[in-house]
Amino acid sequence: MSTPPLSLPFLSEAIALERSRTLGEPDWLRDERVAAARLAASMPAESNVLFTPYFDLRPMRFDEIGVYADAGVAPDTAAELPEGAAAYLHIRENAVVARAISPVAREAGIFLGTFAEALAERPDVLRAAIEGGASLPADDAFAQAARAVASLGLLIHVPEGLSLGAPIVLRWDLGTAGRGVVSRTVVSVGRGARASLLEVMGDADATEAGHAQSLWWGTSEVVLGEGASLSVASEQDFDPSTIAIVNRQSRIGDDATLELALASVGARFHKSRIDNLLVGRGSTVRQVEIGFGSGDQIFDLTSYTRHIGRDTTGDLLSKGVFTDRSRGFIKGLIDIRRTAIGTDSYLGEFGMLLTKKSRSVTVPSLEIDQPDCRRAAHSSSVGPIDEGQIFYLMSRGLDRDTARKFIVLGFLEPVVERIPLPEAQDRLRGLLEAKWPTVLPGAAAA
Amino acid sequence: MTDTRELVQDRRAEYAFHDDIVYLHESGRGLSRQTVEEISALKGEPDWMLQLRLRAYEHFEKRAMPTWGGDLGRIDFGKIVYYRKPSEREEKSWDDVPEQIKKTFERLGIPEAERKFLAGVGAQYDSEVVYHSVREELSKLGVVFMGTDQGLKEYPEIFRKHFGTVVPAEDNKFSALNAAVWSGGSFVYVPPGVEVPLPLQAYFRINGENTGQFERTLIVVDEGASVHYIEGCTAPIYATDSLHAAVVEVVALPGSKVRYTTIQNWSNDVYNLVTKRAHAHERATVEWIDANTGSKLTMKYPSIYLRGRGATADIISVAVAGHEQHQDTGAKVVHLAPDTRSRIVSKSVSKDGGRATYRGAVKVSPGATNVVASVRCDALMLDAESRSDTYPYIDIQEDDTTLTHEATVGKISADQIFYLMSRGLTENEAQNLIVQGFLEVFTKELPMEYAIEFNRLVKLEMEGSLG
Repeated sequence: MSTPPLSLPFLSEAIALERSRTLGEPDWLRDERVAAARLAASMPAESNVLFTPYFDLRPMRFDEIGVYADAGVAPDTAAELPEGAAAYLHIRENAVVARAISPVAREAGIFLGTFAEALAERPDVLRAAIEGGASLPADDAFAQAARAVASLGLLIHVPEGLSLGAPIVLRWDLGTAGRGVVSRTVVSVGRGARASLLEVMGDADATEAGHAQSLWWGTSEVVLGEGASLSVASEQDFDPSTIAIVNRQSRIGDDATLELALASVGARFHKSRIDNLLVGRGSTVRQVEIGFGSGDQIFDLTSYTRHIGRDTTGDLLSKGVFTDRSRGFIKGLIDIRRTAIGTDSYLGEFGMLLTKKSRSVTVPSLEIDQPDCRRAAHSSSVGPIDEGQIFYLMSRGLDRDTARKFIVLGFLEPVVERIPLPEAQDRLRGLLEAKWPTVLPGAAAA
Repeated sequence: MTDTRELVQDRRAEYAFHDDIVYLHESGRGLSRQTVEEISALKGEPDWMLQLRLRAYEHFEKRAMPTWGGDLGRIDFGKIVYYRKPSEREEKSWDDVPEQIKKTFERLGIPEAERKFLAGVGAQYDSEVVYHSVREELSKLGVVFMGTDQGLKEYPEIFRKHFGTVVPAEDNKFSALNAAVWSGGSFVYVPPGVEVPLPLQAYFRINGENTGQFERTLIVVDEGASVHYIEGCTAPIYATDSLHAAVVEVVALPGSKVRYTTIQNWSNDVYNLVTKRAHAHERATVEWIDANTGSKLTMKYPSIYLRGRGATADIISVAVAGHEQHQDTGAKVVHLAPDTRSRIVSKSVSKDGGRATYRGAVKVSPGATNVVASVRCDALMLDAESRSDTYPYIDIQEDDTTLTHEATVGKISADQIFYLMSRGLTENEAQNLIVQGFLEVFTKELPMEYAIEFNRLVKLEMEGSLG
């Protein structure tokens, strides 16, 4: 059964045109929006019938969310560079409020700015990355919706040959309850360049977020040139009443490598779709993703790994831990095309349920047109916390609840350890620990 | 290579034949309310069955075609003959079976198989059971093994109590179609505590161009009883498409054990759209051993609902998809009770442009505590023209579930072939041997003569594959 098209109060061809006018965009960008609005209207909200049984938008109240019609840069964005970072950009609601770039990175030619700034300073880079919808999946209504009506656009450009040891930090804050921002973030890493990106998403002022839903809707559109390497780490800790929607698509060139380490802790509903396009010969993606749900949270995490070039490698690991009444829908597809000789692809999806009312759904799928591969496999498991491990830790003097907590945090650690900045790592550990419910069934016995 | 090609011939033609039968009754092409009423009247059915058929027909008309799975776009429901009755009554003894039909069965080796090994035979020729015998000892044990139509007449209570409870007509479009026009199939009842010592076997065949075959099988195994039911099929080849939409319902009452084995080898123009489902009550064990080598498109996912505490499900699903074939097969287990166990093993081979799809689901419902489940899917692709898909759904709603799932897709390694060829095998023989080894998890579960037959089928499939 296919789903109806995505129906949103802030999505139409007219709104797409209006956005383009408001932001004073060139014709080609306006045409992008119009094409996207038409595409979004022409397809079901979930275009893959494989996943429609586990596609549910009911928790979202789009009608009640006031989506920003414009975006911009605050008059004074001067800020101090966080320790250990090469560059820093802070977005609050629909505006860039702080920006800092290390002198070295600036000198080397790194660019970090809005579409408006990019159109003035790096028009060719932006256009090459996104024109014709090349940077977003054509079969995804959400991606096309963002392409049609996004008010905030960001470009991060790491030019050819540049090697950045320190990460670029991108901080997103939602503020006013009931408001929403739709944005696009384009990351272009030139031939042989190396960079890392840390995204930190949360609410500036948690007390301000009330019962009205807020919306963070964004993209990460990555282009990796030959031999380039990018490592992306993300910590999502929105307020429990926020809706978070993200599309990440990466086109990975010859011998290029993408690493993704994505952690989702917050939001009422977190919907993520990842498309890794292994186009180049010898290209690689390594992705680890975790979701820790509590309360009524829903994590809807979909990833497509498309092996197109020869000798490509995909290594994906998703882990979900769910307490209370939270739910996880972890859906994945490895797609090995006929051209993809010599593929090595692995997809692992693992769930851990901590309470009786929680739920874990995993759909680790394979579609294979080329048998000449090094490996094409997936595995999945769902299980309770291992009693043997609990026993071992208790014999070392921990109480039962602490032992359980340690085991769960250990289960998620493979993602935490791939967060680039020690400070951000510790922050994520703190977030995960804070998710730990105060009273757990079975904990009283300890 | 050329030499090898000459040595191995495709012997499929031997199994593709068509006998000219004079049908005593034919429902004409197409489906209407009247067709349904006519079928029911011809069979002299009770009113409740007629009403059930009519409700199912209404649902079939309303229900949309599935948008997932294989390509169903070429099925023309208006061209199908929904009912054919080749001879007037069911035959009790082999001698009474009409000569023409007998010849067909003899080519399939049925009487021989029966003499040697089998407990009973129900051979379905098109739509009606024409030949049926149950060994005397089974009759003495109280085991019922007969055509479904006869079952409705002779065991109305058991029949009505269970019919349509495992697979409701409204379950899907094809179960609705089957409920509306079903004809033939087997009815099995095993009384409490009875262990049927030998497998019960039924041979199914489709004959006649555009004949839809809608058999309905109902197996009820009472408390503590056990039975092994075997179904195998071959069909003649025709130019236009045939439809086979069967429904199999298995009720495994507390403490019983049921094994249902299928070797599906329909000819390559048949749409094989089958709903097979079992209910396993307390401590019951249900096993589906299911192999699909034939048909143009098969969509079949034998399923087990574990309804009673301590019930066990075991499904082995094997598929071989050759030229222009799509095997969309798999398995489904729903854990509804505590302490239930399940295992799914799937093996598929795709070659010569064929497509093998595993589609499966394991669900653990709230209340089904202490569940242990495992799924294993392996696929072998013999060339780059073929395709292999794996679509597993795992939905867990109890926190103490232990579930594991593993899947791999690969090809035959050149090293393996080289080694076997160095031992004097031809390339084709080597491939054949490796494929047989890959599928052994299935073959070893079969009675001996079936294992031989299945290996022969695989060999026939493989022989057409050189190039």
